[in-house]
Amino acid sequence: MINPGFIVLIKREVMRFLALWKQTIMPGLISSALYIIVFGEALGHRIGPMEGISYISYIIPGLTMMSVINMAYQNSSSSIMQAKFLKFIEDILIAPLSGFEISMAFTIGGMFRGVINGILILLLSKLLVPEFTISNYGLTLIYLITVSWAFSALGVIIGIYARSWDQIGSFTTFVFMPLSMLGGVFWSVNMLPGIWKTISLFNPIYWMINGMRHATIGSVTEASINSSPTLSLILSFAFTIIFSFIASYMFEKGYKIKS
Amino acid sequence: MTEISVKIRKLRKIYDGKVEALKGINLDIPKGSFFGLLGPNGAGKTTAIGIMTGLVNITSGSVEVMGHDVIKDYKKSRRLIGLSPQELNFDVFFPIKDVLALNAGYYGLSNKDAYERADIMLEKFGLTEKAKNTARELSGGMKRRVQIAKALVHDPEVLILDEPTAGVDIELRHMLWDYLKEINNNGKTIILTTHYIEEAEALCNEVAIINDGEIIKQDAPANLINMLGNNKIMVRINTKNKSPDLSPFDYKVEDNLVEFSTKDPSRDLPKIISKLNENSIDILEINTSKSSLEEVFVKLTNNKL
Repeated sequence: MINPGFIVLIKREVMRFLALWKQTIMPGLISSALYIIVFGEALGHRIGPMEGISYISYIIPGLTMMSVINMAYQNSSSSIMQAKFLKFIEDILIAPLSGFEISMAFTIGGMFRGVINGILILLLSKLLVPEFTISNYGLTLIYLITVSWAFSALGVIIGIYARSWDQIGSFTTFVFMPLSMLGGVFWSVNMLPGIWKTISLFNPIYWMINGMRHATIGSVTEASINSSPTLSLILSFAFTIIFSFIASYMFEKGYKIKS
Repeated sequence: MTEISVKIRKLRKIYDGKVEALKGINLDIPKGSFFGLLGPNGAGKTTAIGIMTGLVNITSGSVEVMGHDVIKDYKKSRRLIGLSPQELNFDVFFPIKDVLALNAGYYGLSNKDAYERADIMLEKFGLTEKAKNTARELSGGMKRRVQIAKALVHDPEVLILDEPTAGVDIELRHMLWDYLKEINNNGKTIILTTHYIEEAEALCNEVAIINDGEIIKQDAPANLINMLGNNKIMVRINTKNKSPDLSPFDYKVEDNLVEFSTKDPSRDLPKIISKLNENSIDILEINTSKSSLEEVFVKLTNNKL
Protein backbone atom coordinates (compact mmCIF):
# COMPACT_ATOMS: atom_id res chain seq x y z
CA MET A 1 0.00 0.00 0.00
CA ILE A 2 1.21 3.49 -0.78
CA ASN A 3 2.14 5.50 2.32
CA PRO A 4 -0.31 8.45 2.46
CA GLY A 5 2.49 10.63 3.87
CA PHE A 6 4.40 10.08 0.64
CA ILE A 7 1.48 11.45 -1.39
CA VAL A 8 1.27 14.46 0.95
CA LEU A 9 4.96 15.22 0.39
CA ILE A 10 4.49 15.06 -3.39
CA LYS A 11 1.51 17.37 -3.02
CA ARG A 12 3.65 19.73 -0.98
CA GLU A 13 6.31 19.79 -3.68
CA VAL A 14 3.79 20.48 -6.44
CA MET A 15 1.94 23.12 -4.39
CA ARG A 16 5.23 24.87 -3.76
CA PHE A 17 6.12 25.41 -7.40
CA LEU A 18 2.55 26.19 -8.42
CA ALA A 19 2.36 28.86 -5.72
CA LEU A 20 5.59 30.33 -7.10
CA TRP A 21 4.55 29.99 -10.76
CA LYS A 22 6.01 33.36 -11.69
CA GLN A 23 9.44 32.05 -10.72
CA THR A 24 8.97 28.42 -11.64
CA ILE A 25 6.89 28.34 -14.82
CA MET A 26 7.26 31.72 -16.51
CA PRO A 27 11.06 31.90 -16.97
CA GLY A 28 11.16 28.69 -19.03
CA LEU A 29 8.38 29.97 -21.27
CA ILE A 30 9.93 33.40 -21.73
CA SER A 31 13.41 32.13 -22.55
CA SER A 32 12.03 29.54 -24.97
CA ALA A 33 9.92 32.18 -26.67
CA LEU A 34 12.98 34.42 -26.98
CA TYR A 35 15.07 31.63 -28.51
CA ILE A 36 12.29 30.86 -30.98
CA ILE A 37 11.94 34.51 -31.97
CA VAL A 38 15.64 35.36 -32.13
CA PHE A 39 17.16 32.15 -33.45
CA GLY A 40 14.18 30.80 -35.31
CA GLU A 41 12.51 33.83 -36.82
CA ALA A 42 15.37 36.30 -37.12
CA LEU A 43 18.35 34.05 -37.89
CA GLY A 44 16.57 30.92 -39.03
CA HIS A 45 15.82 32.20 -42.52
CA ARG A 46 19.51 32.74 -43.14
CA ILE A 47 20.47 29.35 -41.77
CA GLY A 48 18.02 27.46 -43.94
CA PRO A 49 16.44 24.06 -43.38
CA MET A 50 18.16 21.37 -41.29
CA GLU A 51 17.85 17.79 -42.45
CA GLY A 52 14.95 18.82 -44.60
CA ILE A 53 13.01 20.65 -41.94
CA SER A 54 12.71 24.39 -41.29
CA TYR A 55 15.30 25.60 -38.79
CA ILE A 56 12.69 27.02 -36.45
CA SER A 57 10.86 23.69 -36.15
CA TYR A 58 14.16 21.86 -35.85
CA ILE A 59 15.23 23.72 -32.69
CA ILE A 60 11.91 23.44 -30.80
CA PRO A 61 12.44 19.89 -29.43
CA GLY A 62 15.94 20.81 -28.21
CA LEU A 63 14.73 24.04 -26.61
CA THR A 64 11.99 22.08 -24.88
CA MET A 65 14.43 19.50 -23.53
CA MET A 66 16.86 22.19 -22.38
CA SER A 67 14.12 23.90 -20.39
CA VAL A 68 12.68 20.65 -19.06
CA ILE A 69 16.11 19.54 -17.81
CA ASN A 70 16.74 22.87 -16.13
CA MET A 71 13.35 23.18 -14.52
CA ALA A 72 13.23 19.63 -13.19
CA TYR A 73 16.74 19.96 -11.78
CA GLN A 74 16.11 23.35 -10.24
CA ASN A 75 12.89 22.29 -8.58
CA SER A 76 14.21 19.41 -6.53
CA SER A 77 17.65 20.87 -5.85
CA SER A 78 16.36 24.23 -4.64
CA SER A 79 13.49 22.71 -2.69
CA ILE A 80 15.90 20.47 -0.78
CA MET A 81 18.39 23.30 -0.36
CA GLN A 82 15.67 25.52 1.14
CA ALA A 83 14.52 22.74 3.43
CA LYS A 84 18.11 22.18 4.58
CA PHE A 85 18.80 25.86 4.95
CA LEU A 86 15.69 26.56 7.04
CA LYS A 87 16.03 23.17 8.74
CA PHE A 88 12.45 22.13 8.07
CA ILE A 89 13.90 19.09 6.34
CA GLU A 90 13.96 17.75 9.91
CA ASP A 91 10.15 17.74 9.94
CA ILE A 92 10.30 15.42 6.94
CA LEU A 93 13.16 13.27 8.23
CA ILE A 94 11.41 12.52 11.54
CA ALA A 95 8.13 11.61 9.82
CA PRO A 96 7.32 7.95 9.18
CA LEU A 97 8.66 8.09 5.62
CA SER A 98 11.41 5.92 4.18
CA GLY A 99 14.45 7.42 2.48
CA PHE A 100 13.14 6.00 -0.76
CA GLU A 101 9.76 7.68 -0.27
CA ILE A 102 11.31 11.05 0.59
CA SER A 103 13.68 11.03 -2.37
CA MET A 104 10.93 9.90 -4.75
CA ALA A 105 8.53 12.57 -3.49
CA PHE A 106 11.09 15.31 -4.17
CA THR A 107 11.92 13.71 -7.53
CA ILE A 108 8.28 13.39 -8.60
CA GLY A 109 7.61 16.99 -7.55
CA GLY A 110 10.41 18.17 -9.86
CA MET A 111 9.24 15.77 -12.56
CA PHE A 112 5.83 17.47 -12.57
CA ARG A 113 7.46 20.87 -12.96
CA GLY A 114 9.55 19.60 -15.87
CA VAL A 115 6.57 18.00 -17.61
CA ILE A 116 4.31 21.03 -17.11
CA ASN A 117 7.05 23.30 -18.45
CA GLY A 118 7.61 20.99 -21.41
CA ILE A 119 3.94 20.84 -22.32
CA LEU A 120 3.54 24.61 -22.04
CA ILE A 121 6.63 25.23 -24.19
CA LEU A 122 5.34 22.84 -26.86
CA LEU A 123 1.97 24.62 -26.80
CA LEU A 124 3.64 28.01 -26.99
CA SER A 125 5.80 26.79 -29.87
CA LYS A 126 2.71 25.65 -31.74
CA LEU A 127 1.26 29.10 -31.20
CA LEU A 128 4.40 30.89 -32.44
CA VAL A 129 5.27 28.41 -35.19
CA PRO A 130 2.05 27.01 -36.70
CA GLU A 131 3.94 24.62 -39.01
CA PHE A 132 5.39 22.79 -35.95
CA THR A 133 3.52 19.56 -35.33
CA ILE A 134 4.01 16.61 -33.01
CA SER A 135 4.05 13.26 -34.74
CA ASN A 136 3.86 11.00 -31.70
CA TYR A 137 2.12 12.40 -28.62
CA GLY A 138 2.61 9.29 -26.52
CA LEU A 139 6.35 9.12 -27.13
CA THR A 140 6.69 12.88 -26.57
CA LEU A 141 5.05 12.50 -23.16
CA ILE A 142 7.29 9.55 -22.32
CA TYR A 143 10.37 11.69 -23.07
CA LEU A 144 9.04 14.58 -21.04
CA ILE A 145 8.41 12.29 -18.09
CA THR A 146 11.64 10.25 -18.18
CA VAL A 147 13.95 13.20 -18.81
CA SER A 148 12.22 15.32 -16.14
CA TRP A 149 12.39 12.41 -13.74
CA ALA A 150 16.08 11.75 -14.40
CA PHE A 151 17.17 15.35 -13.91
CA SER A 152 14.87 15.94 -10.98
CA ALA A 153 16.52 12.92 -9.32
CA LEU A 154 19.90 14.45 -10.15
CA GLY A 155 18.62 17.64 -8.52
CA VAL A 156 17.88 15.65 -5.37
CA ILE A 157 21.44 14.30 -5.39
CA ILE A 158 22.99 17.75 -5.87
CA GLY A 159 20.52 19.30 -3.42
CA ILE A 160 21.67 16.92 -0.71
CA TYR A 161 25.31 17.29 -1.63
CA ALA A 162 25.47 21.08 -2.05
CA ARG A 163 26.54 23.32 0.79
CA SER A 164 25.61 26.57 -0.90
CA TRP A 165 23.29 27.98 -3.52
CA ASP A 166 26.30 28.72 -5.70
CA GLN A 167 27.10 25.04 -5.97
CA ILE A 168 23.60 24.36 -7.25
CA GLY A 169 23.88 27.20 -9.75
CA SER A 170 27.31 26.22 -10.97
CA PHE A 171 26.07 22.78 -11.90
CA THR A 172 23.71 24.45 -14.37
CA THR A 173 26.47 26.60 -15.81
CA PHE A 174 29.21 24.00 -15.95
CA VAL A 175 27.25 20.90 -16.82
CA PHE A 176 23.79 21.45 -18.28
CA MET A 177 24.49 24.49 -20.40
CA PRO A 178 27.50 23.03 -22.24
CA LEU A 179 25.98 19.58 -22.58
CA SER A 180 22.72 21.02 -23.92
CA MET A 181 24.43 23.45 -26.28
CA LEU A 182 26.80 20.76 -27.54
CA GLY A 183 23.99 18.23 -27.60
CA GLY A 184 22.62 19.69 -30.79
CA VAL A 185 19.88 22.01 -29.63
CA PHE A 186 20.71 24.47 -32.40
CA TRP A 187 22.31 22.28 -35.03
CA SER A 188 22.58 18.74 -36.21
CA VAL A 189 25.53 16.86 -34.81
CA ASN A 190 26.09 15.65 -38.35
CA MET A 191 27.41 19.12 -39.11
CA LEU A 192 30.34 18.63 -36.70
CA PRO A 193 33.73 17.43 -37.94
CA GLY A 194 34.63 13.75 -37.31
CA ILE A 195 36.11 13.64 -33.81
CA TRP A 196 33.55 16.07 -32.34
CA LYS A 197 30.77 14.02 -33.77
CA THR A 198 32.14 10.96 -31.95
CA ILE A 199 32.55 12.90 -28.70
CA SER A 200 28.96 14.09 -28.96
CA LEU A 201 27.80 10.50 -28.88
CA PHE A 202 28.95 10.30 -25.26
CA ASN A 203 26.75 13.20 -24.26
CA PRO A 204 23.52 11.83 -22.74
CA ILE A 205 21.69 15.08 -23.39
CA TYR A 206 22.43 14.65 -27.09
CA TRP A 207 20.48 11.40 -27.04
CA MET A 208 17.63 12.91 -25.09
CA ILE A 209 17.30 15.81 -27.51
CA ASN A 210 17.49 13.41 -30.42
CA GLY A 211 14.81 11.23 -28.91
CA MET A 212 12.56 14.23 -28.40
CA ARG A 213 13.18 15.33 -31.99
CA HIS A 214 12.21 11.87 -33.14
CA ALA A 215 9.02 11.94 -31.07
CA THR A 216 7.99 15.40 -32.24
CA ILE A 217 9.19 16.15 -35.74
CA GLY A 218 9.41 12.46 -36.52
CA SER A 219 11.00 10.74 -39.47
CA VAL A 220 13.63 13.37 -40.25
CA THR A 221 16.16 12.49 -37.59
CA GLU A 222 15.67 8.79 -38.12
CA ALA A 223 17.54 9.24 -41.37
CA SER A 224 20.51 10.61 -39.49
CA ILE A 225 23.19 8.01 -38.85
CA ASN A 226 23.90 9.08 -35.28
CA SER A 227 20.41 8.83 -33.97
CA SER A 228 18.89 5.63 -32.85
CA PRO A 229 15.44 6.26 -31.35
CA THR A 230 15.70 3.03 -29.41
CA LEU A 231 19.01 4.01 -27.85
CA SER A 232 17.58 7.43 -26.94
CA LEU A 233 14.71 5.80 -25.16
CA ILE A 234 16.92 3.27 -23.38
CA LEU A 235 19.29 6.02 -22.20
CA SER A 236 16.46 8.20 -20.91
CA PHE A 237 15.13 5.32 -18.86
CA ALA A 238 18.60 4.29 -17.75
CA PHE A 239 19.42 7.74 -16.35
CA THR A 240 16.02 7.87 -14.69
CA ILE A 241 16.74 4.64 -12.88
CA ILE A 242 20.39 5.35 -12.03
CA PHE A 243 19.78 8.84 -10.61
CA SER A 244 16.68 7.69 -8.72
CA PHE A 245 18.66 4.86 -7.21
CA ILE A 246 21.51 7.14 -6.07
CA ALA A 247 19.09 9.76 -4.70
CA SER A 248 17.17 7.26 -2.61
CA TYR A 249 20.36 5.60 -1.43
CA MET A 250 21.55 9.01 -0.15
CA PHE A 251 18.30 9.59 1.73
CA GLU A 252 18.26 6.04 3.11
CA LYS A 253 21.76 6.47 4.50
CA GLY A 254 21.19 10.05 5.54
CA TYR A 255 24.28 11.09 3.60
CA LYS A 256 25.08 14.72 4.57
CA ILE A 257 21.63 15.15 6.11
CA LYS A 258 21.90 12.97 9.19
CA SER A 259 24.84 13.04 11.55
CA MET B 1 5.15 -2.76 36.75
CA THR B 2 4.94 0.59 35.06
CA GLU B 3 4.73 0.60 31.31
CA ILE B 4 7.79 2.00 29.55
CA SER B 5 7.30 4.45 26.70
CA VAL B 6 10.94 4.91 25.71
CA LYS B 7 13.48 2.20 26.44
CA ILE B 8 17.12 2.97 25.72
CA ARG B 9 19.75 0.23 25.96
CA LYS B 10 23.54 0.56 25.74
CA LEU B 11 23.12 3.46 23.38
CA ARG B 12 26.34 4.74 21.90
CA LYS B 13 26.99 7.47 19.41
CA ILE B 14 30.38 8.31 18.02
CA TYR B 15 30.54 11.24 15.61
CA ASP B 16 32.99 10.90 12.72
CA GLY B 17 34.75 8.05 14.51
CA LYS B 18 36.11 10.52 17.07
CA VAL B 19 33.75 12.23 19.45
CA GLU B 20 31.86 9.86 21.73
CA ALA B 21 28.66 11.78 22.42
CA LEU B 22 26.83 8.93 24.15
CA LYS B 23 28.77 6.29 26.08
CA GLY B 24 26.33 3.40 26.21
CA ILE B 25 23.42 4.89 28.12
CA ASN B 26 20.46 2.95 29.55
CA LEU B 27 17.26 4.77 30.23
CA ASP B 28 13.64 3.87 30.88
CA ILE B 29 11.10 6.61 30.47
CA PRO B 30 7.80 5.54 32.06
CA LYS B 31 4.60 5.91 30.08
CA GLY B 32 2.66 8.99 31.07
CA SER B 33 5.60 10.59 32.83
CA PHE B 34 6.77 14.17 32.49
CA PHE B 35 10.42 13.38 32.05
CA GLY B 36 13.27 15.86 32.22
CA LEU B 37 16.53 15.21 30.43
CA LEU B 38 18.97 17.60 32.02
CA GLY B 39 22.58 18.20 31.29
CA PRO B 40 25.09 20.88 30.40
CA ASN B 41 25.72 21.88 26.80
CA GLY B 42 27.26 19.07 24.81
CA ALA B 43 26.23 16.42 27.34
CA GLY B 44 24.44 14.36 24.69
CA LYS B 45 20.80 15.38 25.17
CA THR B 46 20.14 16.45 21.61
CA THR B 47 22.03 13.43 20.29
CA ALA B 48 19.80 11.12 22.32
CA ILE B 49 16.70 12.90 21.03
CA GLY B 50 18.07 12.78 17.49
CA ILE B 51 18.43 9.02 17.70
CA MET B 52 14.91 8.58 19.10
CA THR B 53 13.47 10.56 16.20
CA GLY B 54 15.69 9.37 13.36
CA LEU B 55 17.73 12.53 12.82
CA VAL B 56 20.95 10.97 14.05
CA ASN B 57 22.31 7.59 12.95
CA ILE B 58 22.91 5.13 15.77
CA THR B 59 26.41 3.76 16.43
CA SER B 60 25.34 0.85 18.62
CA GLY B 61 22.67 -0.08 21.14
CA SER B 62 18.93 0.22 20.78
CA VAL B 63 15.98 2.52 21.37
CA GLU B 64 12.38 1.39 21.52
CA VAL B 65 9.32 3.63 21.58
CA MET B 66 6.31 1.82 23.04
CA GLY B 67 7.95 -1.45 22.08
CA HIS B 68 8.84 -0.42 18.53
CA ASP B 69 12.52 -0.34 17.60
CA VAL B 70 13.43 3.05 16.11
CA ILE B 71 15.47 1.43 13.34
CA LYS B 72 13.70 -1.80 12.42
CA ASP B 73 10.22 -0.53 13.08
CA TYR B 74 10.79 3.17 12.46
CA LYS B 75 7.50 3.85 10.73
CA LYS B 76 5.59 2.73 13.81
CA SER B 77 7.91 4.37 16.33
CA ARG B 78 7.96 7.72 14.54
CA ARG B 79 4.19 7.87 14.32
CA LEU B 80 4.17 7.81 18.13
CA ILE B 81 6.63 10.68 18.53
CA GLY B 82 6.24 14.41 18.12
CA LEU B 83 9.37 16.55 18.22
CA SER B 84 9.73 20.24 18.83
CA PRO B 85 13.38 20.97 18.03
CA GLN B 86 15.32 23.61 19.87
CA GLU B 87 15.99 25.60 16.74
CA LEU B 88 12.88 27.00 15.09
CA ASN B 89 12.34 25.41 11.70
CA PHE B 90 9.51 26.32 9.39
CA ASP B 91 8.32 25.55 5.94
CA VAL B 92 7.99 29.20 4.92
CA PHE B 93 6.28 28.58 1.59
CA PHE B 94 2.88 28.07 3.17
CA PRO B 95 0.61 29.73 5.74
CA ILE B 96 0.91 28.15 9.17
CA LYS B 97 -2.42 26.37 8.88
CA ASP B 98 -1.20 24.56 5.77
CA VAL B 99 2.15 23.88 7.40
CA LEU B 100 0.39 22.20 10.31
CA ALA B 101 -1.88 20.22 7.99
CA LEU B 102 1.10 19.13 5.86
CA ASN B 103 2.95 17.98 8.95
CA ALA B 104 -0.09 15.98 10.04
CA GLY B 105 -0.29 14.57 6.51
CA TYR B 106 3.31 13.31 6.62
CA TYR B 107 2.16 11.13 9.52
CA GLY B 108 -0.62 9.63 7.43
CA LEU B 109 -3.64 11.71 8.44
CA SER B 110 -6.21 12.22 5.69
CA ASN B 111 -6.58 15.71 4.27
CA LYS B 112 -9.80 16.28 6.21
CA ASP B 113 -8.39 15.03 9.52
CA ALA B 114 -5.18 16.96 8.99
CA TYR B 115 -7.01 20.27 8.57
CA GLU B 116 -9.26 19.50 11.52
CA ARG B 117 -6.22 18.85 13.71
CA ALA B 118 -4.56 22.01 12.35
CA ASP B 119 -7.61 24.04 13.38
CA ILE B 120 -7.61 22.51 16.86
CA MET B 121 -3.92 23.32 17.29
CA LEU B 122 -4.34 26.89 16.06
CA GLU B 123 -7.13 27.41 18.56
CA LYS B 124 -5.27 25.75 21.46
CA PHE B 125 -2.27 27.97 20.88
CA GLY B 126 -4.23 31.14 20.23
CA LEU B 127 -3.11 31.37 16.62
CA THR B 128 -6.43 31.15 14.79
CA GLU B 129 -6.21 34.77 13.66
CA LYS B 130 -2.79 34.12 12.17
CA ALA B 131 -3.83 30.98 10.27
CA LYS B 132 -3.20 32.59 6.89
CA ASN B 133 0.16 34.09 7.77
CA THR B 134 3.45 32.38 7.06
CA ALA B 135 5.74 31.67 10.00
CA ARG B 136 8.06 34.47 8.89
CA GLU B 137 5.35 37.02 9.59
CA LEU B 138 4.89 35.97 13.21
CA SER B 139 6.51 37.25 16.41
CA GLY B 140 9.10 35.14 18.24
CA GLY B 141 6.63 33.89 20.83
CA MET B 142 4.10 32.95 18.19
CA LYS B 143 6.76 31.09 16.22
CA ARG B 144 7.57 29.06 19.31
CA ARG B 145 3.89 28.21 19.70
CA VAL B 146 3.70 27.06 16.06
CA GLN B 147 6.82 24.98 16.66
CA ILE B 148 5.15 23.11 19.51
CA ALA B 149 1.84 22.88 17.64
CA LYS B 150 3.71 21.20 14.77
CA ALA B 151 4.99 18.53 17.15
CA LEU B 152 1.48 17.89 18.48
CA VAL B 153 -0.57 18.08 15.32
CA HIS B 154 -0.54 14.33 14.63
CA ASP B 155 -1.53 13.65 18.24
CA PRO B 156 1.60 11.71 19.28
CA GLU B 157 1.84 9.53 22.38
CA VAL B 158 5.30 10.82 23.20
CA LEU B 159 6.07 14.51 22.95
CA ILE B 160 9.72 15.54 22.90
CA LEU B 161 10.48 19.18 23.63
CA ASP B 162 14.02 20.36 23.16
CA GLU B 163 14.33 23.65 25.05
CA PRO B 164 10.71 24.66 24.45
CA THR B 165 10.81 27.89 26.40
CA ALA B 166 14.11 29.31 25.17
CA GLY B 167 13.58 32.99 24.45
CA VAL B 168 9.96 32.97 25.56
CA ASP B 169 8.49 35.62 27.84
CA ILE B 170 7.19 34.73 31.30
CA GLU B 171 3.51 34.93 30.40
CA LEU B 172 3.87 32.59 27.45
CA ARG B 173 6.10 30.29 29.44
CA HIS B 174 3.39 29.83 32.05
CA MET B 175 0.76 29.36 29.37
CA LEU B 176 2.90 26.65 27.79
CA TRP B 177 3.52 25.02 31.17
CA ASP B 178 -0.20 24.84 31.84
CA TYR B 179 -0.87 23.37 28.44
CA LEU B 180 1.92 20.82 28.75
CA LYS B 181 0.61 19.75 32.15
CA GLU B 182 -2.82 19.32 30.61
CA ILE B 183 -1.44 17.12 27.82
CA ASN B 184 0.51 15.12 30.39
CA ASN B 185 -2.60 14.68 32.54
CA ASN B 186 -4.34 13.28 29.48
CA GLY B 187 -1.84 10.44 29.51
CA LYS B 188 0.81 11.61 27.04
CA THR B 189 4.44 11.10 27.87
CA ILE B 190 6.49 14.28 27.69
CA ILE B 191 10.25 14.39 27.44
CA LEU B 192 11.72 17.79 28.16
CA THR B 193 15.21 19.18 27.89
CA THR B 194 15.74 22.57 29.38
CA HIS B 195 18.30 24.98 30.65
CA TYR B 196 15.86 26.32 33.19
CA ILE B 197 16.19 23.79 35.97
CA GLU B 198 13.30 25.46 37.76
CA GLU B 199 11.22 24.50 34.73
CA ALA B 200 12.13 20.84 35.21
CA GLU B 201 11.45 21.19 38.93
CA ALA B 202 8.03 22.69 38.26
CA LEU B 203 6.96 20.24 35.57
CA CYS B 204 8.81 16.95 35.72
CA ASN B 205 7.93 14.00 37.90
CA GLU B 206 11.16 12.30 36.93
CA VAL B 207 14.50 13.56 35.68
CA ALA B 208 17.67 12.03 34.33
CA ILE B 209 20.86 13.98 34.61
CA ILE B 210 23.21 13.40 31.72
CA ASN B 211 26.79 14.54 31.65
CA ASP B 212 29.55 13.84 29.18
CA GLY B 213 27.55 11.14 27.41
CA GLU B 214 26.52 9.27 30.54
CA ILE B 215 23.40 9.18 32.68
CA ILE B 216 24.62 9.97 36.17
CA LYS B 217 21.32 9.99 38.06
CA GLN B 218 17.68 9.28 37.42
CA ASP B 219 14.95 9.91 39.96
CA ALA B 220 12.08 12.16 40.96
CA PRO B 221 13.30 15.74 41.50
CA ALA B 222 12.17 15.68 45.14
CA ASN B 223 14.15 12.49 45.80
CA LEU B 224 17.25 13.92 44.16
CA ILE B 225 17.01 17.01 46.30
CA ASN B 226 16.49 14.96 49.43
CA MET B 227 19.29 12.60 48.55
CA LEU B 228 21.85 15.05 47.31
CA GLY B 229 20.63 18.41 48.34
CA ASN B 230 21.74 20.18 51.40
CA ASN B 231 18.66 21.26 53.31
CA LYS B 232 19.10 23.33 56.42
CA ILE B 233 17.06 24.08 59.51
CA MET B 234 18.34 27.09 61.36
CA VAL B 235 17.21 27.62 64.92
CA ARG B 236 17.96 30.74 66.91
CA ILE B 237 18.09 29.88 70.60
CA ASN B 238 18.63 31.71 73.85
CA THR B 239 22.25 31.41 74.79
CA LYS B 240 21.96 30.17 78.37
CA ASN B 241 22.95 26.64 77.51
CA LYS B 242 26.31 27.04 75.81
CA SER B 243 27.00 23.54 74.51
CA PRO B 244 23.89 21.46 74.06
CA ASP B 245 24.23 17.85 72.95
CA LEU B 246 21.91 17.52 70.01
CA SER B 247 23.09 14.20 68.58
CA PRO B 248 22.24 12.26 66.46
CA PHE B 249 21.59 15.34 64.30
CA ASP B 250 24.21 16.82 62.07
CA TYR B 251 24.55 20.35 63.37
CA LYS B 252 26.84 23.19 64.16
CA VAL B 253 26.53 26.01 66.64
CA GLU B 254 27.57 29.56 66.05
CA ASP B 255 26.75 32.09 68.74
CA ASN B 256 23.06 31.62 69.34
CA LEU B 257 22.38 29.99 65.96
CA VAL B 258 22.18 26.21 65.53
CA GLU B 259 22.31 25.02 61.97
CA PHE B 260 21.03 21.51 61.25
CA SER B 261 21.81 19.80 57.96
CA THR B 262 19.14 17.34 56.91
CA LYS B 263 18.01 15.37 53.90
CA ASP B 264 14.36 15.65 54.75
CA PRO B 265 13.49 18.82 56.67
CA SER B 266 9.77 18.08 56.97
CA ARG B 267 10.50 14.76 58.68
CA ASP B 268 13.28 16.05 60.92
CA LEU B 269 11.85 19.38 62.03
CA PRO B 270 9.45 17.99 64.71
CA LYS B 271 12.22 15.73 66.05
CA ILE B 272 14.60 18.64 66.26
CA ILE B 273 12.06 20.70 68.15
CA SER B 274 11.47 17.95 70.70
CA LYS B 275 15.21 17.40 71.05
CA LEU B 276 15.68 21.08 71.83
CA ASN B 277 12.82 20.89 74.32
CA GLU B 278 14.47 17.89 76.00
CA ASN B 279 17.55 20.03 76.48
CA SER B 280 15.34 22.82 77.77
CA ILE B 281 16.53 25.20 75.14
CA ASP B 282 14.25 28.11 74.31
CA ILE B 283 13.56 28.51 70.62
CA LEU B 284 13.49 32.13 69.43
CA GLU B 285 13.14 31.62 65.68
CA ILE B 286 13.15 28.79 63.13
CA ASN B 287 14.13 29.10 59.49
CA THR B 288 14.47 26.43 56.86
CA SER B 289 16.29 26.56 53.57
CA LYS B 290 15.67 23.97 50.93
CA SER B 291 18.10 22.97 48.25
CA SER B 292 16.95 23.40 44.66
CA LEU B 293 17.28 20.95 41.82
CA GLU B 294 19.69 23.43 40.33
CA GLU B 295 22.12 23.02 43.24
CA VAL B 296 21.87 19.26 42.88
CA PHE B 297 22.50 19.59 39.19
CA VAL B 298 25.55 21.75 39.64
CA LYS B 299 26.86 19.39 42.29
CA LEU B 300 26.44 16.37 40.04
CA THR B 301 27.82 17.81 36.84
CA ASN B 302 30.40 20.19 38.28
CA ASN B 303 29.03 22.55 35.78
CA LYS B 304 27.40 25.88 35.72
CA LEU B 305 24.44 26.12 33.41
